[in-house]
Amino acid sequence: MVKFYSNDTVYDYGFSTVSLAYFLRYPNPYARHVASTDTIERSYDPETQRLTTVRLHLKRSRLPPAVVKLLPRSYLGNAGEDGRTQSFILERSVVDVKNGVMQSESRNLDWNNVLSVIEKHRYERPKALAEGAGWNEETTNVNISVTLKSRIGEQIRKQRARWGEQATATSVSGGEEEAPRRGLFSSWGQGAIRTAIETISLQRTEKSQPKAQKGMKVVLERLRHGGLVEVLEGMRADREVEI
Amino acid sequence: MSASFAPECNEVKERYDTCFLKWYSEKFIRGTAKEDECEPLFQKYKTCLTKALKDKGIESMIEEARADNKENDVEFMKPSSGAKCKYNSQEDPRSQLISV
Repeated sequence: MVKFYSNDTVYDYGFSTVSLAYFLRYPNPYARHVASTDTIERSYDPETQRLTTVRLHLKRSRLPPAVVKLLPRSYLGNAGEDGRTQSFILERSVVDVKNGVMQSESRNLDWNNVLSVIEKHRYERPKALAEGAGWNEETTNVNISVTLKSRIGEQIRKQRARWGEQATATSVSGGEEEAPRRGLFSSWGQGAIRTAIETISLQRTEKSQPKAQKGMKVVLERLRHGGLVEVLEGMRADREVEI
Repeated sequence: MSASFAPECNEVKERYDTCFLKWYSEKFIRGTAKEDECEPLFQKYKTCLTKALKDKGIESMIEEARADNKENDVEFMKPSSGAKCKYNSQEDPRSQLISV
């Protein structure tokens, strides 16, 4: 199964400000868990006036205790006993200035064997109400969606398919899939575990998304008040608090 | 400015980011950009970053993720999957999947 979250809203800021704020989102007072942000690819096409950016974010987080309990140790990787961990997020965005649209898609690189999270943002400059008046520069339409899919057991199935039928479960998984023989993992079955993880993650998303939006609004407000200078000063302050 | 995951790249990243933000707000967003003027600085930043990504084994993780994502997208987004009914109400023909 897949769980899906979606939210539509309107920002009281023009597309220019919103798309710039998107690149300046981290750090902000509501996203102190974002340790770093790097641009790993960027390309501009003068003909279409589209800017494509790939960024890598490193986020610190804590696995929900319920998830730590559900998972066998072999799945927990670099997470501490208390569930503290970190995760790289790969984000690809395209800003289309001509059409006034920005779209982004982010995916987690770590924990992919447990849960795949795909977050999509769409920012759109609305058409002005008056005929022929061009664009509305006062507001921006926003849609944010998150797709959650637990992939426990999936990697193993894929490897088996790739490696052919002669590969046995043990030789393929190196015992990984066999490790959770006892406890909930086996008695519930993987389908139930997947659903539980997706449900817990959806609840988390429903809590974290409003915070992410608040963070975005802080950046937007700083841009409106003091432009880039104020945003950068704010960022410095946010970083110092974290350190 | 946000920090780089590789502290040794922070300085060149800051120079690039500063250039980018200026170019973005003064030219790109106004539709007057002829080229990416910060490209030379980006190449310097990228050189530093690529080395760090390699040294820390993250580069291969990114490549794997991209290969894996292509495979999953087919499965994930196919019309017959369980996601279909959930997508229906949200479906927007304009929002095609951007494959990372």
